[in-house]
Amino acid sequence: MKSILKAALSTAFLIAAASSSSAEPAAGKAVFEAKGCAQCHYTDGPAREKTIDDQLAKKGPELWYAGSKFQKGWLAGWLADPKPIRPLKFNSLDEENADDHPKLAGDDAANVTDFLMSLTVDAVEAGVIKPKRNVKGKQIFIKKMPCSGCHQASGRKGKISGGRSGPSLVGAGERLNPDWIYAYLKNPTVFKPVKAMPTFAGILKDKDIKNVATYVSNFKAKKK
Amino acid sequence: MKRFLVLFVPFVLASSIGGAPAWSAETETVFKFYCAQCHGLGGKGDGPNVTKDFPVTPRDFTSAKEMDKLSDADMKNVILDGGPAVSKSPLMPPWGKTLTSEQVDGLIKHLRKLCKCKGKQG
Ligand code: HEC
Ligand code: HEC
Ligand code: HEC
Repeated sequence: MKSILKAALSTAFLIAAASSSSAEPAAGKAVFEAKGCAQCHYTDGPAREKTIDDQLAKKGPELWYAGSKFQKGWLAGWLADPKPIRPLKFNSLDEENADDHPKLAGDDAANVTDFLMSLTVDAVEAGVIKPKRNVKGKQIFIKKMPCSGCHQASGRKGKISGGRSGPSLVGAGERLNPDWIYAYLKNPTVFKPVKAMPTFAGILKDKDIKNVATYVSNFKAKKK
Repeated sequence: MKRFLVLFVPFVLASSIGGAPAWSAETETVFKFYCAQCHGLGGKGDGPNVTKDFPVTPRDFTSAKEMDKLSDADMKNVILDGGPAVSKSPLMPPWGKTLTSEQVDGLIKHLRKLCKCKGKQG
């Protein structure tokens, strides 16, 4: 009886919480479906991919934890004016990114941003990583580990260098939630059970995963 | 029990050594998904990560001369623990927490197929 009451109360609370944070997520969800976004992106977790073939069958990255992964300001801007994130075409090693991602007009972009930002997950703990310069993280990224072999980043004088098979990390500090970077490196299979990136959890110490996450979360698009 | 073993063992041997087609197709997928990023889809060391900024050349798996220097155990070592484990470049990643041991064994056979070489014995 007590537990039924509890459940009823928490449902009431959830409804109240959802309606008080304005109707945009629902409006955004409708736009997301109407514009065909769901043809290439799934938005309900947990992760579905079990095999390499599952991963290769996807036409776009999974978005079910988008609210924990992205920064809101970046997302709103990108949906209205998308620029390539992955140097190569998604799931390809021999074709370039065609720079042809669907664009959303102003209101639609704002509503879809609210919808995607509502998709958060418990696996990302808030407030763990504070972006700042981190010498140990830099050494790991550039020297000790192969990160730069697969990811672009901007170095001295803003010169971009690095590998091309992973998403570009240029400006990652403006695009990604620092705490998601750490959660992903620490526990990658929750987000991406099948991924071409090696798992570093268990190879790097927790302290060093934090160092490298701190370093990456400080990547700016432009030198300020 | 004994009879069961007698029947069972040859079956296991046949399916692992006899090169069941499903298995090598799977290994090819594994190679193209993980290794081709640097070593190239054909294994020639020319994957899309190898730009002019890339400081070392990922091993060309089709070079029997280079690949003959490595035993299967050497290969397993570098695949599991990465370049630094064998005093090579850290740009060769450690895959020990990513791949299953069946996948690693499959990859070693696949690399031997690419180099058409047996490698250092022992
Ligand atoms: C034809 C398939 C396709 C459709 C339709 C599509 N996308 Fe995408 N989306 C992609 C691909 C591929 C990428 C990766 C782009 C890149 O890396 O530059 C992507 C990337 C994204 C990202 C960044 C995700 C990440 O992890 O980097 C977001 C957010 C996104 N899409 C939202 C949308 C929205 C909203 C719509 C509907 C207006 C939409 N997409 C329609 C294929 C698609
Ligand atoms: C062998 C290539 C490779 C190496 C080495 C590598 N990555 Fe990745 N990384 C990838 C790929 C591919 C993805 C995209 C995975 C996916 O979405 O399936 C990725 C994704 C990421 C992401 C998420 C980016 C996004 O926008 O979704 C971060 C952050 C990241 N890697 C950081 C690192 C760090 C830090 C290191 C070194 C400790 C590293 N990577 C080493 C290939 C690599
Ligand atoms: C991020 C790029 C990268 C990826 C991905 C990668 N390698 Fe390598 N690999 C290298 C580099 C660079 C070398 C050469 C290291 C050197 O000569 O110092 C190398 C060398 C090797 C060698 C030879 C080592 C030796 O002692 O000569 C083997 C075997 C090997 N890689 C196997 C693999 C396998 C199997 C995979 C996929 C599971 C893989 N590599 C994925 C970069 C990579």
